[in-house]
Amino acid sequence: MPTETVKRRITIDPVTRLEGHGKIDIILDEKGQVDKAYFQVPELRGFEKFAQGRQVEDMPQITSRICGVCPTAHHMASTKALDAVYQVTPAPAGRKIRELVYSTFMAEDHTLHFYFLGGPDFVVGPGAPKAERNVLGVIGKVGVETGKAVISMRRKLRELVALAAGKPVHPVFGLPGGVARRLTEEDRGKFRAVAAEAVDFAGFTLDIFHKVVLENSDYVDLIKSDIFTHRTHYMGMVDEKNRVNFYDGMLRVVTPDGAERAKFDPAKYLDYVGEHVEPWSYMKFCYLKQQGWKGFTEGADSGIYSVAPLARLNVADGMATPLAQAAYEEYVKVLGKPVHHTLANHWARVIELLYAAERMKELAEDPEVADPNVRTIPTATPAEGVGVVEAPRGTLFHHYKTDDRGIVEKANLIVATQNNAARISMSVEKAAKGLVSAARCDDGVLNMVEMAFRAYDPCLGCATHSLPGSMPLLVTVRDRRGETVSTLRRDSDGAVSRG
Amino acid sequence: MPATIRLLGLGNEILGDDALGILIARQAEESFPPEEVEVVSSSESGLHLLDHVLDVERLIVVDTIQTRGAEPGTVYVVKEEDVPVPAGADSLHRIGLFDTLALARGLGLRTAEDVTVIAVEAADCLTVGGEMHPAVKAAVPRVMGAIGELVAAANPSA
Repeated sequence: MPTETVKRRITIDPVTRLEGHGKIDIILDEKGQVDKAYFQVPELRGFEKFAQGRQVEDMPQITSRICGVCPTAHHMASTKALDAVYQVTPAPAGRKIRELVYSTFMAEDHTLHFYFLGGPDFVVGPGAPKAERNVLGVIGKVGVETGKAVISMRRKLRELVALAAGKPVHPVFGLPGGVARRLTEEDRGKFRAVAAEAVDFAGFTLDIFHKVVLENSDYVDLIKSDIFTHRTHYMGMVDEKNRVNFYDGMLRVVTPDGAERAKFDPAKYLDYVGEHVEPWSYMKFCYLKQQGWKGFTEGADSGIYSVAPLARLNVADGMATPLAQAAYEEYVKVLGKPVHHTLANHWARVIELLYAAERMKELAEDPEVADPNVRTIPTATPAEGVGVVEAPRGTLFHHYKTDDRGIVEKANLIVATQNNAARISMSVEKAAKGLVSAARCDDGVLNMVEMAFRAYDPCLGCATHSLPGSMPLLVTVRDRRGETVSTLRRDSDGAVSRG
Repeated sequence: MPATIRLLGLGNEILGDDALGILIARQAEESFPPEEVEVVSSSESGLHLLDHVLDVERLIVVDTIQTRGAEPGTVYVVKEEDVPVPAGADSLHRIGLFDTLALARGLGLRTAEDVTVIAVEAADCLTVGGEMHPAVKAAVPRVMGAIGELVAAANPSA
């Protein structure tokens, strides 16, 4: 065993997973307490170079292949960027169909996240044995029938996206000025039927959240605990009444006290968002230019901000649909506003699920979505454009600059996780400092550290596959020269062994 | 009669070595009659693969892998039961094929019973527009051979 005078490093490194996955480094000081903790992700390389020289109309197809989890978000941000490049306002029906499809996608993604990602922490419980903290544990807790309802809902939502937009990774959908294909009255009927079901399902999910989480004071205490709390700025998209919108609107930033710091046209994002580079990470850390990069610090003077469900609810004055608004009001009553508790992302996500379902219903009930005029043909010379949507995990920016033939000269993406990267790093460090020491780094403690970033559902290098699924975690204790002193291996059955 | 074997090629054509699964799916479509092997491919991951593991007896999955413990191009053929049971995920990005299989079975859905994974050690799956490593490309005939053996073993009379 190492002596107490040696500076040590703990690495939570899923070494046997594909490269696109995260890694946590925890550095201990001489006393065996946490000195620093780093959250690292390998990033995709070469996107800009790959995009250069391509026809800009191909970008929605290319970028939808970047992520194996949220292709529809990339496709939509890219399509909106094309509208801007060609200076065209989408035909009203085309715009509504896009938002309808996007709401359907958000409902599907939030459903999967709540049950199968957040579920192991909240539905099964953070203190449950590792072997139960998985999708099977969730089914064990909510029951097979509910599990089947989740899968059935997901399938119906997914089939609708495919009906309107084709395969998620090979979409035939977004074009500058609208969409490729109209919806028939029959299609609209299908959307209406599933939307009504989705609203019921979202309400049912909120009930489960109530029963399992809110009626359990341990969970509420955990959500509110200082270890999982950060006072940062927040950013998200709002409509003309400052209500949450996933598809379109202005970007609003609020201070840690909830006051409006900025509200801007997404096309002007470069005036507001800067990117900071740290020597230990490939990832660029976004910050607010007005405040500047002040290091990994909280508060109104720091430029660090956060995105995703918690942030979206913080920047908004409310929700645009009635049931989601009622759920939002209860959330604010219990947690206050703005909410700084990272784990409240899970609650905010359920409220957003309800909004996505209700918005889907509203749009599907609008006869205009079956209007055959779904595209305005662009006539302007292509130039430059920014497209922004709220992806499930936060604000997603696509920015292209072309020559006058529409050939891409420059392309820039900011994905949700980059917006959140600084706060995720702070969350990991705070949880590690609060929980880990040389004497305490067992499975339960490591899970709590992982929970700190799991709530954000960070995109860990888009487009990589999860084969071989989940494998054991290996925690390596190293001396300052990087040599292994001892290892802690957590096997898939939850057994912890030391080497 | 629908095919009793499904080949699922996982990968991404624009990400260097990750193109492998898609490449194999394309070749398999030409090599096997559809009534014998149903070929599908996907660039999606995790729970999005659910539909692909249902309503078939045998599933052969081809993907790249990075263990960093072997040379690029190394081919692994493993049965599902030889892979440790998943232990939960940190991100939807980390809910993998095996969690998806476990979920499908846990819900009593008609799930492939016999699952074989053919994985090829990759050098780089993160460079957009990257070329495949020559050693990974050179593994293609070996992967096709392994698929052929699995198909022949499943249809001894053919």
